[in-house]
Amino acid sequence: MGEIVRYKRDVWGEEVILGVSWDLLWVVAVAVLVLLAAHAIVMAVLANKKMDKPSGEGKRVVRHEAIDRWFHWLMALSIFALILTGIAPIVGLRFAWLNWHWMAGLLLSFITLVHIVRSLFWQDFKSMILGPRDFAEPFDSTRLPGKYSFEQKGMHWAVTVVVMTVIATGLLMFLQIDSPFWERTNSMPESQLGLVFLLHGLSTLALVALASTHIYFAIRPEKLFYTRSMFKGWISEDEMKANHDPNLWSPKQAD
Amino acid sequence: MAYMHIGKDFVPPDVNGKVTGRIKYAEDYTREGMVYARLLTSPIPHARVVNIDASEALAMDGVFGLLTADDVYPDGEPQSTGLKVLTNEPTLVGEPILALAAIDEKTAETAISKISVTFERLPFVLDPLDSLAEGGPDAYNGGNTYVFRQGFASEKWSADQVASFRAGNEPTAEPQQTFAYGDLDAALAESAFVYESTFTTAGYPHQSMEPRSAMAYWENGKLYLHGTSQSLSALADGMASIVGVPQEDFVFINEATGGGFGQRARANSIPSMAIPAKMSQKINRPVMMRVTRDEETAIGGARQGFQGWIKCGFKADGTMAAADLYIISDNGGKGGGGDAYSAADCISILYQTEAVRFRGTSIGSNTGHRGAQRGPGQNQIAAIIAPILDKAAEELGIDRLKIRQINTPQNGDVGGASRTPFTSAYMPEALKMGAEQFNLEERMARSRKRNGSKVTGIGIGQGYHNAGRSGMDGIVRLTADGRLKVHNGVGNLGTYSYASTSRAAAEVLQMPWERVDIVTGRTDRHLPITSPQDGSNSIFTNTRTNYGAAMDLLGKMKEIAAMELGGDAADYDFGDERVFKAAAPSEGMTFAEIAQKGIALGGKFTGEADLPEELNDFTKISVSRLAGDALMGIYHDAPHNNNPPGFTVTFTEIEMDVETGKYDIVEMVTIGDCGTVVHPQGLKNQLVGGAVWGIGLTGYERHLYDPQNGLPASTGYWQSKIPTMMDTPAKIKTGWVDLPDPENPVGARGIGEPAMGAVAASLASAISDSLEGHLFNSAPVTADMIINHVAGVTSEAVPLAQNNFRG
Amino acid sequence: MVATSHDVMLDIELYQPTDEANALALAASLGKDGWLLGGGQDTYGWVKDRNKSATAMIELTQVDAWKGIKETSDGIEIGAVTTLTEISKNPLVKEKFALLAKAAGVVASPQIRNVGTLAGNLAQDARCWYYRRGLDCYRAGGNICYADSPEGLNREHAIFGASRCVAVSPSDTAPALVALDATMVISSAKGQRLVSAQDFFVGPDVNITSMTALEEGEILTAVRLPNEWANAEYYFEKVADRNVWDFALVSISAAMKVSNGVIEDSRIACGAVECVPRRLDDVENALRGQQRSEQLAERVASIASQGAEPLNYNHFKIPLIENLVKRAVRG
Repeated sequence: MGEIVRYKRDVWGEEVILGVSWDLLWVVAVAVLVLLAAHAIVMAVLANKKMDKPSGEGKRVVRHEAIDRWFHWLMALSIFALILTGIAPIVGLRFAWLNWHWMAGLLLSFITLVHIVRSLFWQDFKSMILGPRDFAEPFDSTRLPGKYSFEQKGMHWAVTVVVMTVIATGLLMFLQIDSPFWERTNSMPESQLGLVFLLHGLSTLALVALASTHIYFAIRPEKLFYTRSMFKGWISEDEMKANHDPNLWSPKQAD
Repeated sequence: MAYMHIGKDFVPPDVNGKVTGRIKYAEDYTREGMVYARLLTSPIPHARVVNIDASEALAMDGVFGLLTADDVYPDGEPQSTGLKVLTNEPTLVGEPILALAAIDEKTAETAISKISVTFERLPFVLDPLDSLAEGGPDAYNGGNTYVFRQGFASEKWSADQVASFRAGNEPTAEPQQTFAYGDLDAALAESAFVYESTFTTAGYPHQSMEPRSAMAYWENGKLYLHGTSQSLSALADGMASIVGVPQEDFVFINEATGGGFGQRARANSIPSMAIPAKMSQKINRPVMMRVTRDEETAIGGARQGFQGWIKCGFKADGTMAAADLYIISDNGGKGGGGDAYSAADCISILYQTEAVRFRGTSIGSNTGHRGAQRGPGQNQIAAIIAPILDKAAEELGIDRLKIRQINTPQNGDVGGASRTPFTSAYMPEALKMGAEQFNLEERMARSRKRNGSKVTGIGIGQGYHNAGRSGMDGIVRLTADGRLKVHNGVGNLGTYSYASTSRAAAEVLQMPWERVDIVTGRTDRHLPITSPQDGSNSIFTNTRTNYGAAMDLLGKMKEIAAMELGGDAADYDFGDERVFKAAAPSEGMTFAEIAQKGIALGGKFTGEADLPEELNDFTKISVSRLAGDALMGIYHDAPHNNNPPGFTVTFTEIEMDVETGKYDIVEMVTIGDCGTVVHPQGLKNQLVGGAVWGIGLTGYERHLYDPQNGLPASTGYWQSKIPTMMDTPAKIKTGWVDLPDPENPVGARGIGEPAMGAVAASLASAISDSLEGHLFNSAPVTADMIINHVAGVTSEAVPLAQNNFRG
Repeated sequence: MVATSHDVMLDIELYQPTDEANALALAASLGKDGWLLGGGQDTYGWVKDRNKSATAMIELTQVDAWKGIKETSDGIEIGAVTTLTEISKNPLVKEKFALLAKAAGVVASPQIRNVGTLAGNLAQDARCWYYRRGLDCYRAGGNICYADSPEGLNREHAIFGASRCVAVSPSDTAPALVALDATMVISSAKGQRLVSAQDFFVGPDVNITSMTALEEGEILTAVRLPNEWANAEYYFEKVADRNVWDFALVSISAAMKVSNGVIEDSRIACGAVECVPRRLDDVENALRGQQRSEQLAERVASIASQGAEPLNYNHFKIPLIENLVKRAVRG
């Protein structure tokens, strides 16, 4: 395994951080693959004793409003574009990636901002708050979550932290290149610039891991109804009752 | 006057060695057990060394030792500007911090890369005006300027004052230095045309081809230093005290030098030669220190750049009535020189200006070391003033040659800040001669004519530098075999002046040149002190000393003949290497016989007694070591008072391509007024070499430092844009007035520096002419500036920027 | 610790293959550790300054197969390690592709042309002084450009197509080859591939650390000039600060098919304005079918500078490229 941080000389010969070591990309890839494979195996073993799968038929309740679904998929699109355009050159795929990257970055930033505002004022923000009760949930099979499970909330907040970091550092990096909006300067000290690159790199690695995990769970058979809901907006009442506590989450009926 | 040697070409003894490559420069010497030193230089423009950890480097095989500023200055570094041998307080990128000696250079470099130096970074500044502005950084630890005998000081202007100056206005702050004569206000009031503008000139490196490498070893308590210099005795005199060795225990060896141009004249401009000396002392081995081109650029010296304001008034008849100058000169990272003062002095002399006021302030920047460079001040201003003169001529409807003739200095004139009379001045003759050789009238008819994208520009330029000193010593000896030994401490800079000044002694004795030996190359050959070989003085100063010493020798020879053959010394004449009775030429003695007799007589004849009282200490040591083995002529030259000027005039025709900003120099004629010509080929070399330099000053050379970090961007010959042979005319026509100067025994004055100034001026004048008389008020004027001007593009360069690109 | 003084190389293993297979095998086995050495005029500066280091070098100039100029059925083929002097003086090149002869004849200085090779001139690294000083800029794998800032010393840098790095293509022969629609023959142990001159040069948007399409283990072994543009009307001009031993401030290479004063077709490329030779497609389109005239020259000149984004000190390149286009069109 290589090092975590790469260093360079600043303009006067002193060692400063250059950024993350991209060897870590392979480490992350392998680690995620191993963990997800292990999870899949365990789940496959457990599957034999699994109870019945709730029916997707019958009455439906609303899980995701159309606007939130749009938000989700735009966010997914921008994150995938960012990962693709950011990582492809590192692994040796050569194309003019930078403009696509910052445009996708701007899209992500905008959507995230909209999402934050919407979640604070128009959505049920509390449904995403992680409380002490949530942490007991994995250890007590009788406890059912409200709208979001412990895992879902955990994933959301992890993604929040990582995306906020990637956006913040990304915007700082955007300031370091010429753009249609400004001419670049070298006003940021090289040591700080290196830290920004490092944080951007580390959050990118985390995002790769989280995105992979997210996709994995999205396509797990027992979770597919959630994925469906991200396309269609609803889950069945059966699915809801099997996985959620109606006292904690009382969604509208879907049309 | 018919001379035997003066005015005749000859082959100086070092020419064969230079052509064949056999002559040795400092880098060519080796010594048994010799090891190699390399430098670690500052990567930071202004810093303080906090710690040096060399443990890993010193533990390497083949590493012999380290030399730091603490070794060189055990009592602390001198708190003044000026290059240090090594320093813990670097004020420019590339300043030597430490040296390391190893078995070979590769090991030394690798070892140096393992040394960790901790620096405290300090604020830096690259443009003197930025430092002058209130709150601006200071280049030095004690301020931004150094006042002689008073120490560091911080000069500050208000931000508005700096901004106003950059915007093109007369500076309003108090200057550090002034001189003035005449009634300036009245002169301006009388003027029919007044020109006023700010201007900039670049300070750029000396670019000597030979870097300042040196090799040193100690033997029997004596230090032997193979080095580079443009002076020999004068530099050795100062170098001994920098190393801290008594003069009598110091041998400086310097057979040939690959360029000096002002920065190898004196020991304090080349203190790095003390590094191998000190290192050798510390590790007890011969040490060679080869200096890289990068290092040479940093510490090899650079001209001072100017940020100036000028106001000139011309009367309706073309007389330059007034010149008012205010110049901020860039002192660089290690202190500078007096260029600005000399610039104003030069205008006063060249144009006999009726009223002159000079105001100047020198400010440091964390850029290359500054010091005198060929025509320091005179040549920068030459490129600025020539187009102004043309503008005045145009406005007043006066011919461009005529306006120069109206204002020309001539015999009987005085000039400069001190209003000193000239020893002689033949500028009118030079102007006339140049105009004729150039076919000025015919060419002037083409001025500003366009053919396709090409426009003809005609330029006229004049150059000046004071060109002669006095007060030095001469030693000549006549050996028992009748050969004349001329001990010459001038040094071999490449101008052959060590040889041509020796010709004065041969001339006195009418000695065939093959019977003359020039004794030079190393100080243990016992040389007289000479003035440093700078300021275009050598030919004047040292023909005086050599002539005087030969006259002393001749007197002694006649005295010996009279003692032997009877009568009075005054009754004797000489010729064909004999001294004989004037009345009976067959009664005489050969030079050899006289020398033998003199040696037998000893005493005053062989330098053992009755030495001139005023003889310099350096010369006394040499005489004492030579005393007894030959008949000796010794002379101390009394100081003279008047100003021996070196004058030049250049006429240039260019073909400017206004679409590319490039021009061809179609014709260039340059004429020297340097009194009687001693060595025509040497003079021609000076005029042509000076021309190349002048083309560089006006058209090419640059000195760039990145304002973001203080790194030098123009190190080396490519980036600094020294003109190449393809940028200079294939043939530069030369000529000379060749009229004697009365204050030199052979009539000679110097020429080296003005050879450049007139060309710089004439090219600036020609460029301006080709662009409808546009004044850039800048040196250099580069292709991009011309393209921008023609296209009407406004540059984003900071006005009056120094050490940067210009608009 | 960085010492700014160097001028001494590290030890380098020198390989001097004399046949093609051996050279290609060495390039394959040494991979990125095998520094390809032509005339050394780009190389030695790097290694003496210790700003780039090589543990091994493969000297290509002893492979006869990669030297010399020969006529082919469809033009001529120039061995990549043929010296620039030879190219500039070769009768065949002068007769059919005088544009290239002229471009090769103004590279650097006679001394450099005597040892410098065509491949070396084409594949030479950026001459941005920051990069050459050994700073860890984008091009050196770092995360900053020192030149592209309000204070950067960028007079010689790009006015087009910059992406983080603003260095320009320094080669004089590169734009000539683009104008002549040359094909680069790239060999490796795996075989041969052909790349058009235009695609051979790569900008920083695509690859910020290399200026060419050459991959590890690949060697540029020949350049083919098709007859298609032989004996066209050529215009070449290099404007540099100095008339010898300098890189272009802007250079232009134009090949035009002119019949009765009408420009039927043309290929025009400029050097030193972009990281790659800049093909002036829009100018070519505007010229197609037009009668050569001063008015035409004036009209298309402004097309050449469209989209230019000058840095602080290189605005002059805009009028300069326009003027050079005018001159090319005037002929």
